[in-house]
Parts: sequence; C-alpha cells; structure tokens
Amino acid sequence: MSESIKLGLFTYDVKNGLGLIGYNVDEHEHAHIIVETSKCNDCSHMMCVWGCPAQCYNFRDQGLEEMKFQYEDCVECGTCYIMCDQGAVSWNHPRGGFGITYSQG
Amino acid sequence: MDDETDFDVIIIGAGFAGAATAFQLLKEGIEGDRILIVDRGEPIGSKNLTGGILWGRELDDFEEYLGNWEMDCPGIERCINHKKVGFLNNEDALFVEGRFASWDGTGGTEEPSQRSSWSVLRAKADAWMAEKMEEAGIFVMGGMKIDQLHIDGLDHDSYDARDLTDPAEDSGKGTAQKWKVDNLPKELVEKIRNGTISGIVQDGEVMTSKVVVIAEGSNSVLTRGYHFDSMLHAQSKDDMLLGVKEVIHLGKEKIDERFNCFAGDDERPPSGMAMELALSLYRDMSHEAWEKYPNTKGLYPRCGGFFYTNRDTVSCGIIVQLKSLPEGLHTYDLYQAFKAQPAIAALIEGGEAIEYGGHLCPEYGLHRMPHRFTRDGAVVVGDAAGLVFANGMQIQGMNNALHSGKLAGKAIAKCIADGDVSAKALDATYTKSLKASYIFRDLKRFEPATKFLNNPANFTWVPELVGKTANRVFREIGEEKVPAEKVLLKVRKEMRAKNKANKKGMGLFSMLKLALTGRKL
Repeated sequence: MSESIKLGLFTYDVKNGLGLIGYNVDEHEHAHIIVETSKCNDCSHMMCVWGCPAQCYNFRDQGLEEMKFQYEDCVECGTCYIMCDQGAVSWNHPRGGFGITYSQG
Repeated sequence: MDDETDFDVIIIGAGFAGAATAFQLLKEGIEGDRILIVDRGEPIGSKNLTGGILWGRELDDFEEYLGNWEMDCPGIERCINHKKVGFLNNEDALFVEGRFASWDGTGGTEEPSQRSSWSVLRAKADAWMAEKMEEAGIFVMGGMKIDQLHIDGLDHDSYDARDLTDPAEDSGKGTAQKWKVDNLPKELVEKIRNGTISGIVQDGEVMTSKVVVIAEGSNSVLTRGYHFDSMLHAQSKDDMLLGVKEVIHLGKEKIDERFNCFAGDDERPPSGMAMELALSLYRDMSHEAWEKYPNTKGLYPRCGGFFYTNRDTVSCGIIVQLKSLPEGLHTYDLYQAFKAQPAIAALIEGGEAIEYGGHLCPEYGLHRMPHRFTRDGAVVVGDAAGLVFANGMQIQGMNNALHSGKLAGKAIAKCIADGDVSAKALDATYTKSLKASYIFRDLKRFEPATKFLNNPANFTWVPELVGKTANRVFREIGEEKVPAEKVLLKVRKEMRAKNKANKKGMGLFSMLKLALTGRKL
C-alpha cells in the first residue's frame, strides 16, 4: 500500500477485500464504465477517488500524475457516476452475466 | 388481445419489489406465462447487496407460492429479537439494548406473527425467490441486462442506450453538465421521455408487453434514462447514501454463544441481534484530510454503522451520506475505522471476512421523490422509485419494496382488465394507493426528523459526549461520586476547551436548538 493511502488513522486493505468477491470480467471493449481521464486533470476534488469503495480510481491520492481507472474491480454501486461532475464518467451496468457476483449479498 | 403482445407484464429486476409485483399479478389472476421477469444477475441475486433488516411480514401474503419462507428461505437469516442502538467514539461505546422475548415467538406469546424483523442476505434470498417464481409458472430470466425500453412508434436504433447516461462531448461541469441525450433531436427526446412504453429491448431484440415494471433497485439506469425523475438524470449525491459492508464468518455456534441467540429448532428460526450505531470516529481522520485537501475543510462524513447477525456470519458495515464525504477520505477507510473500534473489533474477533461490497441507498424523503411513478405503459417500484424510509434508528427499504410491488401488481392487473394502461389510469390506481399507503405516511411523518438527523452534531460531538460521559459515570476509582448531569457538564467543558469546533458546536444555544429539532423524531 502506498504512503498516501495511509492518510488518516486506519486503512482498509481494499484489494484484499475485493479478492473475496467473485467476478466474471468482461472484455475491455465492453467495459461498463468509461472514464475520459483527460478531463480529470482539471478536476479539483477527485470525489470519484474518495467515494469509490473498490479503489477503481487511482490518482493524486496514490501519488500518480494521471488518473488511472480500471473497471475490473468495480462493485457496480454507481458512486463514481454520482460523484463526478466533470462529465468524465460514462456509466452503465455490465452486460448480462458479467461483472460482480455476490454469493452472500 | 393476448396475442398482441409477447407478455402482459415485463418486470425488470428480480429483487423484492419485482418479485412482489410478479406474485401479486399471479394472485390477481394474470397467468404465469404472461409474466416475464428479467434480472441482470446470473445467478439471480448475485448483483444484490443489503445493509438492512427486512421489517414486517409482507411475504406472508405470498404463502401459496413461498410456503414457510421464514424457515425455508436461505437468505432469511435470523429473526431479530434483540436490538441495540450504540454511540461510538474512538475509545468508548455506550449501547442501549432491548431484548424482546415476544419478537422471536419464544417468549411472551408463541404467535409466529410476532416475528417481524429479519436479518437478510440478498444474494441467497433473491435466488430462492427466483426459484419460487419459476415454480409458480412465471418466466424468469437471469443474466439479462435491459439496454432500452421499447417505445411505440420509435425505432430503438435511432438512439444508443448509452446516449441516455453518457456525458455529452461538449459537456460542461458541475450543474452545467450535459448528456448525450440533450444533443439529440427534440422530437426524438420527447418520444424517449414521454412516449408510450410497450416493451423492452435487449441486444437489439424487442419483447413487447402491455406494462413494463422498472424494479431495478437503487442505481436505476432506466429510471434516469427514461425520465421518471429529472433529478436523477443529473447528480443526486445530495440524497444518496453509500453502504460499505463485509460479511464476516464466525460460525453458527459462536454467534449463538457470543450474541446469546436462540439456536432455532424444527419450528422456529434462530434469533439474532441487530444494531445501529451513531459514530463520531472520524474527527481525527477528517482534520488530517482537511490539512491536505482544504477544499472541504469543515466537512465531517455523516456516517452510521450497522451490525447484524446472520445464521453463520455477521454483516458489519457503514452507511455514509455522499454529500458529506470530505476530500481525502476513502470510503473504505471509513469502514476500516468502524471495524477497528474496540467494541466492534471484539464482536468480530476470530471471524473471517468472506465478502466485501458496496451498494447505494436512496434517501430522498418526500422532497426528492421521482416526479412521476408511472408513464404510459410503465410503472416504477421499490428502491428505483426511491421508496426508502430513514429516520436514523431505522432504514427501511425492503418492506417498502415488497409493499410497492404488491400495490403495483394490483393496479396493473386492474388496468389491464380495464384495457387502459395509460399513465393516467396507472396513477389513478398505483400512484394513488402508494400515496395512501404506510410508505408515504411514514415518509411524511418523519420528514422533520431529517433535519435533526442531518445535523453534523450527531456525527461529531454527540456520540463522543455520550460515550465519554458514560465512561466516567460507570467508572469507580475510589473517589467521591459525582451526579451524572455534573459529569456531562464537565465532559462538555473539557471537550469545548480541547477542540475549537466543539466550542462553537457545543454552545448552549446550539445544543438547545438540536434538542428542539430532536423532539420531532
């Protein structure tokens, strides 16, 4: 875990948590979320980064110069779509049968 | 008339709202093979997640299809007879605890009808409900995501499904955000938003029905795209909560023992504990975040905790108001701080996390309901319609989902029988009964409570004051005893001296104002 993620008193090993969930990851060309990361450079708040419970958005919080998004770990909650007001996030559910598979729920 | 459409009713989403609609339609005499229910999860339920308790016995109405649901449904976990409300700061925890022998039918009265509160795991429960729907003759299809609704006289190829939700290329920022659909020709948009809905489109294929029921849940792309709620189309962070939770395996025996639960027998389900918590855990984290990200200085995350016992696992999580999230705090770290609080850590000790997840929960209240629950040929039910009730002690969505589904089922059957499925006819039945139901009465009665509950005090100094006061009132260190109210005042004084924010927030006038709004709870 990088230094910056240790901000605050507690850190959750989110990737370990996500390792507990089943996924059926769709191919890149069918990614259900598409982020136009060039728009992120002017964003002053990165609320997608803070809101996403699955750490799909990595940016200055991780010491990165550019927004790095990956849809594979997405839990399909929709928080990023709500948080982004930069017009950068295109959001839809994955194709039927793809994406997260909760076994408990 | 039956031959005109592929189905009488197509339901999108096989959660509680969708299932209740389907079962109610059967009860009203619609044939099972005239009802299609689709869900994007494969298996059904695999997309669902709850941080809640199922209240009431709405499922009893479907006994003919579900049988003894409280014993047989795998996702209906434990009957809650033990309820706790807690105030947590980083060190102290004070719980108010109620144990009600009559709630699980083991004491007081043996009436099973007393059992009315359940911990639930939805992936399991929804899969079971889907089986029951199939057994009842309903067409159930999993792994099917609906891209578009079919609209009379509109070629679905004339626009792309993603046009409805994607930002436009010339999108502005903030409130000036534009969506691709805003750039489509006006007549087309008018049809999309107000035309008669008569089916669904999946992978370019159309299936028609007299009525479409949108039961997609809290993050409903179709509700947004087809303009049941213009507010949803843009940003809705003001009234959205994010739940983050883990399911932690402890084993049945350990749970029975640790939480003093009735183990269950052949006739009665195991009993369990449910707990809701006011948290003031995030002060230090917030202050640190503000230093690095001064944009949101002064903002504390408004966050509550929940903890429920399931059969062999516990559900442990937080629910945070998205608009109150300051920059610099990851939601998963908020969860970790909750999990690490000593009182919570003790409860999950020795457990193994088996699932992690996140899910949105609408908290619209009456002021932000969708502006319409129906369109010509369509209705929206459950979480997709924002029918969730929150008063701080309880968040209820699942019973509302079931109830709204029933009302929709009744209304749709009547409208189909009358041969009029226009928005007007559906409003006169469904919307009318919805607004007269306990769902709306609850929302109305507790509207003033929202003001109280949104007061930052409840997420900062109140739980801290309560916890610290209890700490000293209960402690015996061989000194002269001090009355509780004096301890309270002393703790208040110390907290005010220690923290600038407290000095202002905990002024007598602010406290009085808080107490006055709290009276309306």
